[in-house]
Amino acid sequence: MIGRAALTFAALTLTAAVAAPWQWELPTGVTAPIVRPDNPMSAAKVALGRRLFYDADLSIDGTMSCASCHEQKHAFADGNTTRPGVHGNAGRRNVPGLANVAWLPVLTSADPRVTTLEAQVAIPIFGLTPVEMGMHGSEREIPRRLSRDACYRRQFRDAFPDRNGRIDISSVAMALASFERSMVSFDTPADRGALLPEAVNGKAVFARACASCHSGPNLTDGRFYAILPVNPVDRGLAEATERTADEGRFRTPPLRNVAVTGPWFHDGSARTLREAIDRHRAALDAGETTQVLAYLEALTDRSFIENRNFAYPDNPCGKG
Amino acid sequence: MFNALIAAMLLQVAGAAPDARPAIVSPPAELSGWTSPRPLDAGRTAERATVLTLGVAVAARLPSTRDVRYVVRPEKPGGSVSYGGVFAFTVTTPGRYRIALGSGAWIDVLAEGRPAISVAHGHGPACTGIRKMVDFDLGVGRYVLQVAGNGTANLPLLVTKLPA
Repeated sequence: MIGRAALTFAALTLTAAVAAPWQWELPTGVTAPIVRPDNPMSAAKVALGRRLFYDADLSIDGTMSCASCHEQKHAFADGNTTRPGVHGNAGRRNVPGLANVAWLPVLTSADPRVTTLEAQVAIPIFGLTPVEMGMHGSEREIPRRLSRDACYRRQFRDAFPDRNGRIDISSVAMALASFERSMVSFDTPADRGALLPEAVNGKAVFARACASCHSGPNLTDGRFYAILPVNPVDRGLAEATERTADEGRFRTPPLRNVAVTGPWFHDGSARTLREAIDRHRAALDAGETTQVLAYLEALTDRSFIENRNFAYPDNPCGKG
Repeated sequence: MFNALIAAMLLQVAGAAPDARPAIVSPPAELSGWTSPRPLDAGRTAERATVLTLGVAVAARLPSTRDVRYVVRPEKPGGSVSYGGVFAFTVTTPGRYRIALGSGAWIDVLAEGRPAISVAHGHGPACTGIRKMVDFDLGVGRYVLQVAGNGTANLPLLVTKLPA
C-alpha cells in the first residue's frame, strides 16, 4: 500500500553544504521531521552518533552505553521492568523504545520541558534521579576518552566541519540526536495494509476505544494522563509542573513496535500486553481485547528491528 | 546551549544514594565454592586464556579492555576504561552449568568459536555477593569464557555444574 519515496533533506546551512547530504527514506505521505536548524542531519553525523550510541565510554566506568538499555531486538526498549544504573542504583522508569522519536513532541515519560533529543541526552548521562551512566561531575571525561581515539577524531571532523571537529559534550549530544532521528519505522503489517482478519477487527476496536489518546502516525497524542493509581514514589508530570492536578500523569506512549517493548507502562508494571490493556478500564470484553492484541502485534516493524544501519558498527572507520 | 540544559536539569535533581555493600551470607550448596575464591589473572586472548577449575571460585584480576583480544566481539562490549578477560574451562560431564559473577559484566561462552545460547539468567541469591548468574546446557568439550565490560579490575567468578 505504501510506496516509498526519498525526500532529500535540503542543504540550507553551511554545515549541510559541506557535509554529505542526508536522505530521508520515508513512505509516501510521511513528511520529514523537524530538525533543529543548528543541528542539520548528515550521514557523517548519523554514523558518529551510531558509534557513540553503542560506546560504553559514555558511562563513568565504561560498562553502560545507550544501547545497554535501548536494545534493537526490543525496538530499542529494554525487556526489563526498569534498569539499574552503573552504580547499581535502581532504575525508576521503564525504558521506552526509540522508533520515530524524531517526530515525537514529548520525549520522556513525564517531563514536557525536554523537547529535543539533544537535551534528552543529558538525562541518562549526567542525571542523578536516578543515576544511570554516572557522568555527573565528570563532564570533561567523555571528550578526553573520545579524543584518544584516532577514528573518533576523524569522525568528529567529518561530522562537524563547521566546529573544526571539536569533541565536546555538545557535539556528542548533536551526533546522538542525529542517529536517533534516523531511527525511522513505518514498515509494519498495519502500514502495508496486510492485517490478518482478527487484527482488522482489532483495528476497529482500537479506533473506537483507544485512538482518542493513541492517535496519529505514532499512536500517541503526546499528552499526559493518569491511568494507574498515583504513586508517591513517582509523581509523574507533577514533578515537572508542581501542579496537584498532574499527580500520576504520564505521557501517552507511542505504540509502534509495542509488542516487543514490554513490560509496559512507565513503571514496567504490566507483564503482558493484555494486562496493560485491561488496566485502561476501556470496557472491552475478552474477545475485543484479543482482537486489539492482534492489531498491536501488527504494529511490529521487523525491518526496523533487524536493520543493520542501526546495529553496532563493527568497523566505523573502515579497514586499515 | 547544551551546558545550560545540563545545569537546568541538575537543579531539579536530588543526591544519589551511595552504593550499599550487602553483607555476605553463604550461597546455596551448588555455589558453595563462591565463598573461598583464589586470586587469578585473566587471559587476554583465547590462545592464552586462563584455565578455570569447575566449582572453584576465583578473584579474577582483569586487564584493561583495550588489551583484550576477544574471539568474537561481545554483544555489549565495554568502553576503553572498562576491564575484561578471557578464560577457558573443560566439561567432561554433559549437563547444566552456571556462570556466577560478582558484577553485571557481559559474558559469552564459546564452543569452537561460536557463542553457546544461555538457558537461564538472573540475579544471585540475596546478600551472597553474586550479582549475576547465567546458565548453559553444555556437552563435553573445551569452552572459552569471555568477560566484557566490567567496571573494575577485580571480578569474583565461578563456573560450576548444577545438580541434575
